[in-house]
Amino acid sequence: MKKTIIFIIMAVLFIPLAATDARGNDVAQVQQELAVLRAQFNEMRVSYEAKIGQLETKIEDLQKTYSIQAAKPQVVAPSQTTSLGRYFQSFNPDLSVIGDFTYHGTDTKSTEFRNQFQMRQTELAFSASVDPYARGDFFFHVEQEDNEWHIGLCEGYLTLLTLPIDGLQAKVGKFKVEFGKANKLHLHNLPWVDYPNMITDYFGEEGMSEPGVSASYLIPNPWNKYIELTGQVVNNRNGVSFAGTEGTSLVYLGHLKCFHDINEASTVELGTSLATGSNDDGLGRFGSDMTTLEGVDLTYKWRPLQQGLYKSVTFQNELLFSQHNRPFFDDGTDIIDAKNINSWAGYSSFEYQFAKRWSVFGRYDFSEFPLTSSSRENAYSTGITFAQSEYCFWRLQFKQTDRNFDKNSSEVWLQCDFGLGPHRKHDY
Amino acid sequence: MRKVIILLTLLLGLSGIAYCKDVISVLTTTEDLKSITEAIGGAKVKVDSLARGYQDPHFVAAKPSFMMKAKNADLFMVIGLELEIGYEELIINGSRNQRIRIGQQGYLDVSEGVSLLEVPTTTKIDRSMGDVHPMGNPHYWLDPENVKIVAYNIANRLSELSPDNAQYFQGNLISFDKKIDEKMAEWNKKMVPFKGRKIAIYHRSWPYFVDRFGLVIACELEPKPGIPPSPAHLKEVIDIMKRDKVGVILMEVFYDEKPAQFVAGQIGAKVIVVPNSVGGTKEANDYIGLMDTIVNKLAEAFNSADKR
Repeated sequence: MKKTIIFIIMAVLFIPLAATDARGNDVAQVQQELAVLRAQFNEMRVSYEAKIGQLETKIEDLQKTYSIQAAKPQVVAPSQTTSLGRYFQSFNPDLSVIGDFTYHGTDTKSTEFRNQFQMRQTELAFSASVDPYARGDFFFHVEQEDNEWHIGLCEGYLTLLTLPIDGLQAKVGKFKVEFGKANKLHLHNLPWVDYPNMITDYFGEEGMSEPGVSASYLIPNPWNKYIELTGQVVNNRNGVSFAGTEGTSLVYLGHLKCFHDINEASTVELGTSLATGSNDDGLGRFGSDMTTLEGVDLTYKWRPLQQGLYKSVTFQNELLFSQHNRPFFDDGTDIIDAKNINSWAGYSSFEYQFAKRWSVFGRYDFSEFPLTSSSRENAYSTGITFAQSEYCFWRLQFKQTDRNFDKNSSEVWLQCDFGLGPHRKHDY
Repeated sequence: MRKVIILLTLLLGLSGIAYCKDVISVLTTTEDLKSITEAIGGAKVKVDSLARGYQDPHFVAAKPSFMMKAKNADLFMVIGLELEIGYEELIINGSRNQRIRIGQQGYLDVSEGVSLLEVPTTTKIDRSMGDVHPMGNPHYWLDPENVKIVAYNIANRLSELSPDNAQYFQGNLISFDKKIDEKMAEWNKKMVPFKGRKIAIYHRSWPYFVDRFGLVIACELEPKPGIPPSPAHLKEVIDIMKRDKVGVILMEVFYDEKPAQFVAGQIGAKVIVVPNSVGGTKEANDYIGLMDTIVNKLAEAFNSADKR
């Protein structure tokens, strides 16, 4: 019994000792295997954590989408729809026709259509997006001259709307140049029957419109004000201030427009313009003669928002200064001298809307002439406009013009303008 | 040449940096959209509106200053249905902001999915019908159920523009809908006693409101939409109001009251001048305030008429 107990004690003591060596080898192996397993486990953990993260994000996104969708209110009553459906698509341009009808009573005998009715002008306008980057606009004018009807392109241009420089826009085609305010307006959009004398005397009957290129840029400023700088280069074919139909050079123009909201009802716009180009009439007699025009325009508008349908005021003013370098001939063939003819012109117009469809206006014009600063005319106009609707108005205007170089004239117009179709909206 | 390229790259880069903002800059055409956008967008949006609530939303001038507001906007929001046809394109083009062009993510016509009224069903629509909107009456925001759809459209677009804040917008949308539902119960309770009551209106702003609250439009002071009342037409209106015992003329704050007061004076009716847009009066300082003002004034007028 004693021997058995001793044996057991010895076994308990020695077997672990004897096993140590073998276990040592096994432990090392196990540790090695454990390390491998640990590494594999870590690798799997990282991989699954990444996958779980992706799934969680996906679930989150789905939850967001589901939540917004779940919040969509149910429409109880179905919408009425036309047979055309909720939207209609059209690749045709917006097409409009505007007619300008007048009766012109005047004591000036040389006036065509004196004391007669006249369909003075019909404008055909086409406007549409050309592609995602640009829009196109065309304005044709149908007019009668010397008993013949003529159709001409007043404006036709492509406006590039998505240029890479922020604030930049460009235009190519034929357009009314950016000089002052009134030159850009079409006949039907004038607040008067006729263009101011400044425009007709320095640019021609309907102002200056030429093929060319134009770029305008909204100048960044700390006040976030609308300050637009426009630069234009156009053909030199204007025969009144510049070279005329024989011109082969270009006219360069610049315009700076600054706009300010005085308050929610009142605004003021201040502009300055510059135009310069050769006035070489193409006869080759001289080459360095230039015309330079400078302009200033100031427009104040008032329209109280709550009564805006019934009351408004527009006070619009422009000045133009001309330096026209011109040869001075003896008998019409030999140049004696070149002279700089400085002249100027301007107008001031006040229009008051006193009811929803009624307004009255008064305009004063002063004008010299590009080639003769000693010739002057002062004109006084007044009139009343009845806007039958947004698309048709009637206007009565009286104008007295005093001249120091010719007979004075008295004129009266009755005008009716009416339009069909969606015409492109006019600038403010 | 290298300097020009560097400058151009910088300009383009700065444009990109300027667009990645925490707060979405939103420009709406009306104060109604401004109010709803503020409710949904909360602190994550900065909202401005072109039109004021006390002006006719059909005739907003496309001022250059509005183009500057649009230039800086991340999102341009419109009522649609040609309400803004007179100025929308001028402002977007003048702004030179490519983000807000029609079809871009920064342009939102909120009318998608709203329940429309007065969608013309005749085959010929032209200006002889007055100032008609060929896709339906655009004054749909005067039906609170439509405003929930508008809010949903706004929440969706804001979430697209700022996905990190989608949960926030969703939470606000749910709160907004809940508030509208609570107020609808209140407005319905006030208007239920007058279900079927006939009213005269000045301009066709009110069909959605009238339809939602069970009133009936007996006649309009405008002979056709956008055409001012003529003496002959006012006589017809007086005859209809006498025949149908119409005691209330409902009109907007920006129209001339004289024709309505003349008609009311002839038959002892009452002219109720209310805003049809948020901001139209001081009380209508948000969408709930707008509807409270209209409902309360109408209910008061009906009660007063019943007592006479």
